[in-house]
Amino acid sequence: MYDLIIIGGGVAGLSAALYAGRFKLKTLVIAEKLGGTIILTGDISNYPGFKKITGMELFDKIKEHAVSYNVEIKEEKVEKVKKYETFFEISVKDNVYKTKTIIFATGTDWRKLNVPGEKEFANKGVHYCALCDGALYKNKIIGVVGGSDSAAKEALLLAEYGKKVYIIYRKEKIRAEPINLKRIEQNKKIEIINNTNTKEIKGNKFVTHIILDNPYKGSKELKLDALFIEIGHTPISNLAETMGVKTNEKGEIIVDKDSKTNIKGVFACGDVVNSKFKQAITGVAEGVIAAYNVYQYINKELPICGCSEDK
Amino acid sequence: MAKVIVYSTPTCPWCHKVKDFLKQNKIKFEDKNVAEDEAAKEEMMEKTGQMGVPVIVVEGHEPIIGFDVEAIKAALGI
Repeated sequence: MYDLIIIGGGVAGLSAALYAGRFKLKTLVIAEKLGGTIILTGDISNYPGFKKITGMELFDKIKEHAVSYNVEIKEEKVEKVKKYETFFEISVKDNVYKTKTIIFATGTDWRKLNVPGEKEFANKGVHYCALCDGALYKNKIIGVVGGSDSAAKEALLLAEYGKKVYIIYRKEKIRAEPINLKRIEQNKKIEIINNTNTKEIKGNKFVTHIILDNPYKGSKELKLDALFIEIGHTPISNLAETMGVKTNEKGEIIVDKDSKTNIKGVFACGDVVNSKFKQAITGVAEGVIAAYNVYQYINKELPICGCSEDK
Repeated sequence: MAKVIVYSTPTCPWCHKVKDFLKQNKIKFEDKNVAEDEAAKEEMMEKTGQMGVPVIVVEGHEPIIGFDVEAIKAALGI
């Protein structure tokens, strides 16, 4: 019987594991793939303590730190979660684990555009991660769908490879951080097409062009070699939902400020929860709060003094 | 030992994961950088009909797209 099983292996889950390990909770992290969303980010410049670090480096550091407190990690896909009176059962392909508490740190998936051609041309010109596949489009024409700061950052990265980058955004003005907006404005390769939706993705073996709902420079056809879709994320909360964990209209797990869900002994943290601002640092903080409240839940009589700095 | 080729780019995080995994398991492989090597890129597109990396080709097996640990283990017989 574990004290705690954390489902999800991004920075939020591993930070929860780190604290749980220090609290001497018997802890297991189960994740289909370790790393989470952060490893798909190139340079991170807003994680306190690191002026510049790659997502992968940050993740590796947090993972190493967590592992140093004797937490177990298994790379497996969780297939089922079941609630009993005083414990939970978590099933993977060839095993069943018992635990007193659960933290869901399952993160998010790419939001799909849901237009014709998107599925058909997946990895054939339609991509979701510039850091992963952008380098294959050297000197090519690349489109980015989306207007968030993430979309802006993806466009800036893609402009290092492509000869031309279009940002196609459905609203009036992209919502990038001022620092990134300025970089976009100064980049001669990047052109923003506002108030426009992508209706269809077309090609033969690979993408050749897209169809816009508004003409751009007189044509609804826009020639390009790749389209990167950066329109946000959808929470991966279906597993939690199967055991009765409450989610909001976006599918995010509803937690209180103690990272508790509506089910006793079940907690959640990171991008999957109903927080407004989703950053590595906020996910890490939520993970730490979740671990603390797991400890409180298991050892009701032993509150932790937050002032100690023991090693 | 079957010949193993990894088609990758220098920035792609899952490419690093694949290569780390192969190194940990002491599997020798040829790393082809498709961001620089046009011929390698063509070769990868021909073998897989797609542009996603990493692609892992174990001689005698279907190409594996992405860091699919189970499929890689099965192809390598480890």
